[in-house]
Amino acid sequence: MSMLNKRKRIDFLYQGITYFASSISLIALAMIFYFVWSNGSGLLNLDLITKDYHAQYYNGELDENSPFSTMERPIELDENVFYSEKYGLGVSDGIDREGNPIILVVYVSSDSPLRKMQDRNSEQIISLEEDMLISKVSFNDKATALRTFGAKYMIDELDSAVDFREMVFTSIGGGIRGSIITTLYLIGMTMLVALPIGVFTAIYLNEFAKKNRMTNILRILVDTLSGVPSIIYGLMGLAVFVPLTIRTTSATSGNLISGSLTLAIILLPVIIKSTEESLKVVPDGLRQASLALGANETQTTFKVVLPSSIPGILTASLLGIGRIIGESAALIFAIGTAVKDDISITGKSTSLAVHIWSMMTDEPANIELSSTIAVIILMIVLILNIVVKFISKKLMKPLA
Amino acid sequence: MDKQVFNIMNLDLYYGKFQALKNINLIIEKNKVTALIGPSGCGKSTFLRVLNRMNDLIDDCHISGEVYFHQEDIYREKFDVIDLRTRVGMVFQKPNPFPMNIYDNVAYGPRCQGIKDKDELDKIVDNALKSAALYDEVSNRLKESALSLSGGQQQRLCIARAIAMEPEVILMDEPTSALDPIATLKIEELINDLKEKYTIIIVTHSMQQAARISDNTAFFLTGEIVEMDLTNKIFTTPKNQKTEDYITGRFG
Repeated sequence: MSMLNKRKRIDFLYQGITYFASSISLIALAMIFYFVWSNGSGLLNLDLITKDYHAQYYNGELDENSPFSTMERPIELDENVFYSEKYGLGVSDGIDREGNPIILVVYVSSDSPLRKMQDRNSEQIISLEEDMLISKVSFNDKATALRTFGAKYMIDELDSAVDFREMVFTSIGGGIRGSIITTLYLIGMTMLVALPIGVFTAIYLNEFAKKNRMTNILRILVDTLSGVPSIIYGLMGLAVFVPLTIRTTSATSGNLISGSLTLAIILLPVIIKSTEESLKVVPDGLRQASLALGANETQTTFKVVLPSSIPGILTASLLGIGRIIGESAALIFAIGTAVKDDISITGKSTSLAVHIWSMMTDEPANIELSSTIAVIILMIVLILNIVVKFISKKLMKPLA
Repeated sequence: MDKQVFNIMNLDLYYGKFQALKNINLIIEKNKVTALIGPSGCGKSTFLRVLNRMNDLIDDCHISGEVYFHQEDIYREKFDVIDLRTRVGMVFQKPNPFPMNIYDNVAYGPRCQGIKDKDELDKIVDNALKSAALYDEVSNRLKESALSLSGGQQQRLCIARAIAMEPEVILMDEPTSALDPIATLKIEELINDLKEKYTIIIVTHSMQQAARISDNTAFFLTGEIVEMDLTNKIFTTPKNQKTEDYITGRFG
């Protein structure tokens, strides 16, 4: 009887430890989600992910040929919107993040001459759009209407004057479109390099390589590489890939190519390892069956073994993509920290994770926007996870 | 016409320093079923794998002696192993269909030999499935996964896959040991039909199976052939005491 009691107590203890451990990891995960969501959900909207980070300045003047007509005030406009029938323009007062007054464009009629202004600097056609800010309007025969005078004053002045000499307006910045595009580019370009090299290395190691010292050394090398801190890869990217891309392309600094190549090196051991694991679990019976049918080793590997290990390779890709999205230390060196809106693969730009880093090193640190970016990163990872699960299920169907 | 398919002379086989086969001398006759019996670890499966050189896959496996397939020594240098394996098919203990659909499983071997013509492949697949007595059960679901078949059907699919190569010899390594009695019976009937066209060498643990389906039987013990004769002689009047002990179930 006492033996049985002791047994029961030990079982209880062991089970308790597993419950305790799993609840700690669950709580930690929940806390991360709670922290970024409570801080960042406020800023989360479509504008954030579709708009530029840097405000664009425009100096517009009216096109001489554009006709004036009376445009009626749309009924859906709010009461606190000041409207000009002459220009079909609705604006309202507001304040920016630093507390300065701004004049926000709420409505511009599609017939408005403000839609087809000329840029005084570039002679290009520019258009005033909703959600832009008007800084000031200068006239030919009276004082300039500044944003500090308010929306009502600006509309009154616009209506009373014949026309204006110059309208200075800006787009709202703070969007992270550029960093999202950079991150997607990084994922695509890195996987393009790392996946084939990693998969073929794993195939060589597991299927073709003779068990000798060379392959042993190669394996140890791969294991070691996966343990190297990523900032060291970043240094290598800075020392090797950045000069290399500057010499061979039009790049003048860290760029998407050097960043992708550095990430590809980081990913190689991850992809090699997990592909090898998935090749190892392919039953030997399948290899033997193929060889016994007169297939050679190459046919066996590529027609039987590789297709069977595709779910494993997909998992490897997912791990790799997660690593790309999350990597910041290496990228600070290998691609740089400049937040950009126009992304080219030989130009400066930065990924979402590094965007967070540069927001947090600003003075004062922008925790809110950083958390919002974190929410977006988590969402991307979640979506990727679901997509890969779905694909591998689809691929597994004929196998199961 | 050449009646000897395989002629094995003074064959020794080593795994590293361990001698797995000792001085094997054996002739395999055309269009006969030859059963290899003996207790586990006696070398009968190893011997079977000598005949299509599957032992090549094992790193420290060495061989001495001669193995003639028709008049050709299959262990001479520069011998074409791929060609040998297209002429000597193999069915394994555990059904091991490829994770593809039924059609692709059967067409795998011919495709590896470069046959791409769809009509030709269709014909090969149909004939192979018919010969393996599987056609009626799967003809309307050729595009379904081979893994959706039952164990017995999978094993017959593996036989069809081997037949698709139109080999002269089919090696079978305990093909029914993972199957239930009904599936086993079907495979045994199939082997009976197949010996019209093919030479079959089968490793089996079941004495009854050897007695039912084989023409010749070789009894292996600790890497040696103790006795080799017509099956009904082995099972009725064995010459060697050890053979008698084994087939009457006194050991093994």
